[in-house]
Amino acid sequence: MRRKTFGGGVHPPHHKKLTEEQAIRDAREPKLVVIPLSQHLGAPGNPLVQKGDQVAVGQKIGDTDAYVAAPVHASVSGKVVAVEPRMHPALGRPELAIVIESDGEGRVHESVQPKPSVDDLDADTIRSLIREAGLAGLGGAAFPTAVKVSPPRSKPIDTFVLNGAECEPFLTADHRLMVEEAPDIVFGMKALMKAIPVSRGFICIEDNKPDAVRAMKEAVRGEPGLEVVALETRYPQGSEKQMIKSVLGREVPPPPGLPLDVGVVVNNVGTAHALATVLKTGMPLVDRVVTVTGPVITAPANLRVKLGTLFSDLIEQCGGYSALPGKLIMGGPMMGVAQHTAEVPVIKGTSGILALAENQAWDGDPTPCIKCARCVDVCPMQLVPVFMSAYAERGQWDMADRYNAADCLECGCCSYICPAKRPLVQTIRLAKHEILAARRQRAQAR
Amino acid sequence: MADHKLVVSSSPHLRTKETTPRLMGAVLLALLPAALASIVLFGPRALAVMAVTLASALVAEGLYMKIVRKPVTIADGSAAITGLLLAFNMPPMVPLWVPVIGSFFAIIVVKQLFGGLGQNFMNPALAARAFLLAAWPMSMTTGWVVPFDGVTSATPLQVLRGMASARLPETWELLVGMRAGALGETSAVALLLGGFYLLWKGVIDWRIPGCFIGTVALVTWAFGGSGGLFTGNVLAHTLTGGLLLGAFFMATDYVTSPVTRRGRVVMGIGCGLITALIRLWGGFPEGVSYSILLMNVATPLIDRATLPRVFGQRRVKAA
Amino acid sequence: MNLWKDFSNGLVRENPVFRLVLGLCPVLAVTTALMNGFWMGVAVIFVLTCSNVIISVLRNFIPAHIRIPCFIVVIATFVTIVQMTMNAYLPEMYDILGIFVPLIVVNCIILARAEAFASKNRVLNAAADGIGMGIGFTVALMILGAIREFLGTGNLVLNGTALFGGPLFEPAVIMIMPPGAFITMGLVLGLLNAISNRSKARAKAR
Repeated sequence: MRRKTFGGGVHPPHHKKLTEEQAIRDAREPKLVVIPLSQHLGAPGNPLVQKGDQVAVGQKIGDTDAYVAAPVHASVSGKVVAVEPRMHPALGRPELAIVIESDGEGRVHESVQPKPSVDDLDADTIRSLIREAGLAGLGGAAFPTAVKVSPPRSKPIDTFVLNGAECEPFLTADHRLMVEEAPDIVFGMKALMKAIPVSRGFICIEDNKPDAVRAMKEAVRGEPGLEVVALETRYPQGSEKQMIKSVLGREVPPPPGLPLDVGVVVNNVGTAHALATVLKTGMPLVDRVVTVTGPVITAPANLRVKLGTLFSDLIEQCGGYSALPGKLIMGGPMMGVAQHTAEVPVIKGTSGILALAENQAWDGDPTPCIKCARCVDVCPMQLVPVFMSAYAERGQWDMADRYNAADCLECGCCSYICPAKRPLVQTIRLAKHEILAARRQRAQAR
Repeated sequence: MADHKLVVSSSPHLRTKETTPRLMGAVLLALLPAALASIVLFGPRALAVMAVTLASALVAEGLYMKIVRKPVTIADGSAAITGLLLAFNMPPMVPLWVPVIGSFFAIIVVKQLFGGLGQNFMNPALAARAFLLAAWPMSMTTGWVVPFDGVTSATPLQVLRGMASARLPETWELLVGMRAGALGETSAVALLLGGFYLLWKGVIDWRIPGCFIGTVALVTWAFGGSGGLFTGNVLAHTLTGGLLLGAFFMATDYVTSPVTRRGRVVMGIGCGLITALIRLWGGFPEGVSYSILLMNVATPLIDRATLPRVFGQRRVKAA
Repeated sequence: MNLWKDFSNGLVRENPVFRLVLGLCPVLAVTTALMNGFWMGVAVIFVLTCSNVIISVLRNFIPAHIRIPCFIVVIATFVTIVQMTMNAYLPEMYDILGIFVPLIVVNCIILARAEAFASKNRVLNAAADGIGMGIGFTVALMILGAIREFLGTGNLVLNGTALFGGPLFEPAVIMIMPPGAFITMGLVLGLLNAISNRSKARAKAR
């Protein structure tokens, strides 16, 4: 049988050997956590505590009334020592954050109470629990889960997809979670499905993780409507649109099209697991699994980390650097964000911390494009990066728009495959930014 | 550690090991069997023509870049490919100064004056061949010899066309290259070896050579015979002339062929049709190089007409 | 002073072929030999100068709305004179230049100078402009013709006498064929642009 997959894509080396056999272990209790009030693309929260306040684990410390938003909670107990802008790992600029000095006691806040059995909860209650617990997509984008599981009435949902592809090289956090916590993931998945509500669910895993596939298959045995699907290992299999195409053969329309438009909701396995924790213990999202890895990390590991722990703290726990690092990345090597300092906190979207060696840090100077068309062949959106990028380099945003630059996923396949090492996705990203800004301006002018 | 600088750049942070010089190297390697076959078949003369052409192409590239003060990049291998392909298009007995001028024309006029690597709108080697053919028709259209015995002879295509009377070589002779023709085009086996190597390595896409050769075979089979439809000598038409050389190594030139998959199909079929047209009804016995040059010029249009459907976009149905 | 400026304008600064890139049809077609370029140029000098003068004289009488037809009538008159004269005294050259002599009527340079210069300036200035432009055109044609003839035949023929005993090398036939015209024109144009860009950059640097 032909393996389920999508068109285009690349096969970068996995580099997962470093950590795929490493069981998840708890990271050391941090002495200090930095929790940015903005964790995702949505509206930033307002601080609910002040400098000098005592806080307990699970206490809500930031929230907002905005719809596309999720509250943040204290991940340690102790004293708030500052409410001030701190360097944000995803946004690349200082953002308002709550800094808590841990007292090491791990006092749990009184609001943290186990929830009733899922069977006794209705969809609305589950959705509000998801919102209150601050759940967000743990795959990397950290989009608020409550919004995702609240599709508008006009868009009937028939399928739920749980994303366990983890197609980024190096990362193994989701992989280990599936191997070790499969029952909880299925538990959380069923709750998510009840919230939407939808009865058919797929768990999609790339076929380079046979142990995860086995564990999940075991966990869904006897669960009606749930199915585990092994997808071809090919980047970006973990992209929502590509995954839906692979498993259902449906194509999500270009932006502003969403998976909702083809009747699908996609969530990450980490998110499902976090919901299981919320329902079973009442503890909101205060920790996550992070893969700390890379060729210059002495002892790569999968760690369960309190949100707000600094990268430097985690790298130290993994034995520090074995050689001078050239690049420090939050996330995977294909779409991760390069950091200029290790003094940034783990946030909800931090799936991994990757340290590359100095000789891997530079791409080398680009040489002239020879129009080999590899970028066209691998583009999972069936775009023509060679032309879009050429126009973007000259600042001709309108021409880039004509080649649908705004539909780009920014997966980076084109830049990865380019033999001339040209900055394809980098320039297209710029064009996309300009095009969307121009569209917003036009919409406002109207 | 505190003052150690980390590199900050936009993702992706991982790049394939494939580089332009590596791709060019693979093409050169793929041309090697045909070059060796040519030396075996036509003797030291072939070696001399290839060496002179290759060297002059490299000199032209280096000289131009020195003059305009650009970084000299002859190491990327693209000038070497141009030189070697141009040599492959020469008759064995060509005076040696002819390919030297061809190399300078190819590299300086066709490639560098249009902006260098990646900017030429025609295949430099073929454009130079067309130039030489028009400039010194005598040197470029005579001097065909039979391998080993060195006796002047008509090419099989001239025979097929009825322009000369001679024995048409047997199929095995065509496969090995025991026929009169340009230096690098005669040995079908060597060219196929190189071509399949490039396909296997993923350096070239099957669409252009496949559609090109397929179309020529189909059209010459249908209309190339004297006894009515579908009596043409397909094998002779596909194995002679520059078809294999052109289809695998020249029509597939990245810079001058379409970037879209459907565009490559159009390119292949277009090349095939024009080649067959010239061979069967045109003024020349052979049309591979003109067909490729014409399709080179059409490439930007083909690209524009064959842009792929964007993922998730439904074709707009006429209401 | 002013006259000299109008005269020299067409030589280099606004050379009709290499700067304005006008009238390319005869430029490409007849420059297969040095002498062809020369005689074509002479014909253009005559027509351009005479039509410039007449149009300048009549500039206050020609109604603006129908000025183009009027210009054409004037130009056509002189072209007919040239055509008949050449046919009478230079029959061989007339055969070689063929259709391109009558086509001077629609040559862009002549109409352009009539429109842009002669119809707005005094007679003497118009004459100076016509001669200057005509000479610039002639020189350009002779340069192209010389290059193409030399490369395409290996020899140069000056007024019926070959400069060299025989071809100096095996000639590149393509240079006296149409593609040769485009290649030569492109290369010369590119070279002149490169030189002028360089001197401009140098002037700026100073």
